[in-house]
Amino acid sequence: MFCLSEMEEDALKEFFNMGLGMAAASLSEMVNNEVLLSLPQLKVVPYEEATKMLVVNQEEKLVAIRQNFTGELTGTALLIFPGAESLELVRTLLNERMPLAVLMELEQETLLDVGNVVLNAFLESFTQMMSIQFEFEAAEFLKGSSSFLLDVSSHLAAQKNSMMAAATGDDERAFVLMMDFKTNDEEAKQHTLSGFMVLLFSQYSMEILKRELKTILATF
Amino acid sequence: MDKKTVMIVDDSSLARMMVRKIFSTRFKEWHLVEAKDGTEALTLEDSSLRLALIDFNMPGMNGLELSEKLLAKHPDLSVYLVTANIQERMHQRAESMGIGFIKKPIAENKIVDILQAFV
Repeated sequence: MFCLSEMEEDALKEFFNMGLGMAAASLSEMVNNEVLLSLPQLKVVPYEEATKMLVVNQEEKLVAIRQNFTGELTGTALLIFPGAESLELVRTLLNERMPLAVLMELEQETLLDVGNVVLNAFLESFTQMMSIQFEFEAAEFLKGSSSFLLDVSSHLAAQKNSMMAAATGDDERAFVLMMDFKTNDEEAKQHTLSGFMVLLFSQYSMEILKRELKTILATF
Repeated sequence: MDKKTVMIVDDSSLARMMVRKIFSTRFKEWHLVEAKDGTEALTLEDSSLRLALIDFNMPGMNGLELSEKLLAKHPDLSVYLVTANIQERMHQRAESMGIGFIKKPIAENKIVDILQAFV
């Protein structure tokens, strides 16, 4: 059974915190509002349990921007919004009163742009103290339930090196790092926007990450 | 010469270890105290406290709230928020309180710059 020591878990949370800190700063600039962060939660769980960590109605459709990364470390970063919130984000970003039909048309393109900026800021900051090399794949727009979005095997199958992922014999255990965020709604005219950032790793990648954490911690 | 005290407040052990390493190797003249959150930090205050390096996103009170409490007791204290999350509004609030920022991950050269003021 894979597990992290207390110090490794602490380090990973701190990297996640830094990553989302940078991402929040980028998102804050885009929506011109303060973005408040929760404390990070870190769990190594089967994906069924991971879906319960997303505190939303299972039936509710979620919108996500997925950024797969491959290389020495393979995994998936997801920026997730409840469906209604994603349209609110599009409305905020475009700063115009638009009919719903037009907003829906622009939703995918706009959220992909947002996801690209936010997820790249996140992943760059998350890994800046690591020596691990990896490449980003193109960001993708997804719509679905929490169980669909947190299904590691479907993300792995979508990756370019899915052969490698398949060869690692991954079970459905996910390494889930999660933080939620919301905009500061001090000004009544602003709509509150909230969402989640999730990192999913295969068990194979978790071992690599653990090795990297050990190396970093040994320098102190 | 009296020893000056620097306080590090961060819920991450790694973040505290990084700062501790910098001070213990380069700035041994400083006495270092550590706290994992704001509540603990408020019990550690001492009269030689000159500098506080405070994380923003912590359990309980956040870095700005703690800074406010520390500055009320020590108006001459130099306070820096140590965070990767530097947003405009937070920046404005901190600036109005005379609080500086250090971007995470903390590096030796950033500490050197800050300590120039104490030479």
